[in-house]
Amino acid sequence: MIEFRNIHKRFGEKEVLRGVSLQVEKGQIQYIIGTSGAGKSVLAKHLVGLMRADSGQILLDGEDITDWNEQAFYKVRRRCATVFQHSTLFDSMTLAENVALPLRKHRGLSHQKALVRAMEYLKQVNMADHGHRFPADVGDGLRKRVAIARGLTMEPEYVVFDEPTTGIDPLAAANVDQLIRKLSDDFGVTSIVISHDLRSIFRVADRIAMLYKGRVWLDGTPDEFQETTDPVVRQFISGDAEGPMEFPGVRG
Amino acid sequence: MTAALAAWIDSSVRTWDLLRQTIVWILRGALRRRRRQVLQQLYEMGNRSVAFITVTLGILGMISVFQVLKQVEKIVPDFSMIGPAFIQMMIREFGPTIAGLMIATRVGSGIAAEIGSMVVTEQVDALRMCNADPVDYLVVPRFVACGIQSVMLSVYGVLVGVLAGAVTAYLFWNVPFETFFRLDLVQWGDIASGLLKAMCYGLAIPVISAQAGLETRGGSEGVGTSTTRAVVNASFAVVVLDLILSGFSYLVLF
Repeated sequence: MIEFRNIHKRFGEKEVLRGVSLQVEKGQIQYIIGTSGAGKSVLAKHLVGLMRADSGQILLDGEDITDWNEQAFYKVRRRCATVFQHSTLFDSMTLAENVALPLRKHRGLSHQKALVRAMEYLKQVNMADHGHRFPADVGDGLRKRVAIARGLTMEPEYVVFDEPTTGIDPLAAANVDQLIRKLSDDFGVTSIVISHDLRSIFRVADRIAMLYKGRVWLDGTPDEFQETTDPVVRQFISGDAEGPMEFPGVRG
Repeated sequence: MTAALAAWIDSSVRTWDLLRQTIVWILRGALRRRRRQVLQQLYEMGNRSVAFITVTLGILGMISVFQVLKQVEKIVPDFSMIGPAFIQMMIREFGPTIAGLMIATRVGSGIAAEIGSMVVTEQVDALRMCNADPVDYLVVPRFVACGIQSVMLSVYGVLVGVLAGAVTAYLFWNVPFETFFRLDLVQWGDIASGLLKAMCYGLAIPVISAQAGLETRGGSEGVGTSTTRAVVNASFAVVVLDLILSGFSYLVLF
């Protein structure tokens, strides 16, 4: 179980998180939604120590990991894979080498062994035929799948997906959604998915939390979100330009 | 004002910490693992700077010799010591420092832009997720390569500057090459001082620029800001180091 307790984070003048508290139960798919700049990615990065909170606590299976150092966080990063928004494959390596990197670094496998294992993971995301190609030569949808394969190499208990379906076509998106669902159903993986792809949200989520004004505005099941009368949430899920929401960066 | 000062102190502390981490990684044997990257960086940095340094130090050599000869002509029309004095000054001061300033702009901006764009596209985060420390992967090769390349480029810069100066003296005042190229005034202390300066600049520039790159915030405009910051801070560091090392060499090395 992942627990964020009253997390605060500011960047210079801008206070992005103003006391976010959220619990993610084991095996669930927790979506975090909100406008761009609402701090969704920032929150997720706290879990794996890529960012440090100004105040608050983060608990992973009951253990307080808030003040762990970089070395200690390597252990957490093995258990919580992250699939980044930009896929972030390394341009100088082939797709297979990209997937093999964590196997070499975290598990200490030799180059050859890691490549063989990497191909198995690529097969899981239907990318086995593309292992020898370079990231620059394939489209966004394929890159995303390779990034997911790289995340899975550590057989993580937790996976953070940062906008996994943004910028890819609907079919590829459905494919990714299916993969997220499968990880939860078949392997008991707990997922935190950052998204504003409404279709995916209602297709896959077990629970949804909406970040607004630096706090969790609403935390509930997809049904609760569909039925809510909260005007801010209503505006967000119906995608209206007009409404009560204030957008960060846009001062009215 | 106090906030700006606090931010500056904060960032200096982190720069020193980055230097410490870099050295720790090297002591732990990062250099052997990063051999290939070091070679690649050496090649890129050299390629990026060599034309730049040729032009700058060539022109600087020409102008300073021309200017000095014009003034000396009015005082004591004896040009025999111009060459030796100019060579000493190039070795001790101008060669390494001008080359250092050029490297700060050329290589420093490159390092900050490269690392900065890796930060905004989350590649640095991805490295950390893969248990690969960005200092080990990105900073160590640049640190070592820039240290070496700064010394080599300074030596090269001195040669270019002196040659350009000699040609100018010969063309405009008929100072023969035998008179110009004399090392009468050059002592071991001058050479040591010049090399020490070149090495210190070469080690300071990548750390300062990498720090600026790693602290990039926001999107692509953030990369622009940190590139500027890298160039400003690295050039400033070269000038301040010049003062400190000049003082040190006059007191210790003569």
